[in-house]
Amino acid sequence: MAGVGFRRWAQALSKGKGSGISALLSGCRAASGLSKDSLPGPYPKTPEERAAAAKKYNMRVEDYEPYPDNGEGFGDYPKLPDRSQQERDPWYQWDHPDLRRNWGEPMHWDFDMYIRNRVDTSPSPVSWSTMCKQLFGFIGFMLFMFYVGEKFPAYQPVVSTHLNARILFSLFFCWCFFLTVTIFSSFKMAGSSFF
Amino acid sequence: MGAHLVRRYVTETDTEPDPAKKFEFDPQFGFAERKEREMIATQEQMNLAQLPVEQRDYCAHYLLKLMKCKRDNWPNFLACKHERHDWDYCEHQDYVMRMKEYERERRLQLRKKRIEAQAQAA
Repeated sequence: MAGVGFRRWAQALSKGKGSGISALLSGCRAASGLSKDSLPGPYPKTPEERAAAAKKYNMRVEDYEPYPDNGEGFGDYPKLPDRSQQERDPWYQWDHPDLRRNWGEPMHWDFDMYIRNRVDTSPSPVSWSTMCKQLFGFIGFMLFMFYVGEKFPAYQPVVSTHLNARILFSLFFCWCFFLTVTIFSSFKMAGSSFF
Repeated sequence: MGAHLVRRYVTETDTEPDPAKKFEFDPQFGFAERKEREMIATQEQMNLAQLPVEQRDYCAHYLLKLMKCKRDNWPNFLACKHERHDWDYCEHQDYVMRMKEYERERRLQLRKKRIEAQAQAA
């Protein structure tokens, strides 16, 4: 007896069109949820169905355009332009200023993606091609200059220490006809002035 | 200061010495007598002081003295001016010596080229 009741309950659950706890208990929908006629439905085939769907979504019939019926499962949901909320007028008095949306307005399928914290389709100050040219031009130029720097390194006009480390000691008065430039006293070899 | 770079890469590419390569002239050539430079700080001393490789040059003994002075006088960071000056002066002299070596190599290269040109002209 209890087994039969349990089976019926499980069957009702699996068929369940309900919302929340009420579905678990009674197997039918609560009145607080959306009614069946305001939920999305199947793809509209006749002009009357299209008009009804447009009315359901608070759109004009001429604006209403469903997604193509190719098995992706959109049903009669409207295909709205792929524009983010950031592109909407910031000065208009929206009902929900943060979302830049009015009550009852049809929501984009990817509305949660197009909020202002996320994907932004607003136009950039400069065109994509200009941005690419500038970025890659700069990077390319820098790489080229680094390559040139590798080929033609800049060095001080001195013998490098660790290569010719066995430099012979010179007696200063043999070299006194050279002018020792005092400027070079302020340039230290890398590593000799750590402090 | 870039005159040597212009010489090396543009005007006198065949005679300007490359500091990365070994110099080809005999170190004694043109000198009556010349001694080889000697390290005064020993390997063991430098190892104990844990000197990095770049600082293990011919002035390392002054650097070791300076390090000792600083260690002994901490926290008085103004104390070791004399030792620091000694080390700096040694490094300066070393730098000047290296400059002169470079210049010597360069002049010998020019001289070699002149002699070859004369030999060809003759």
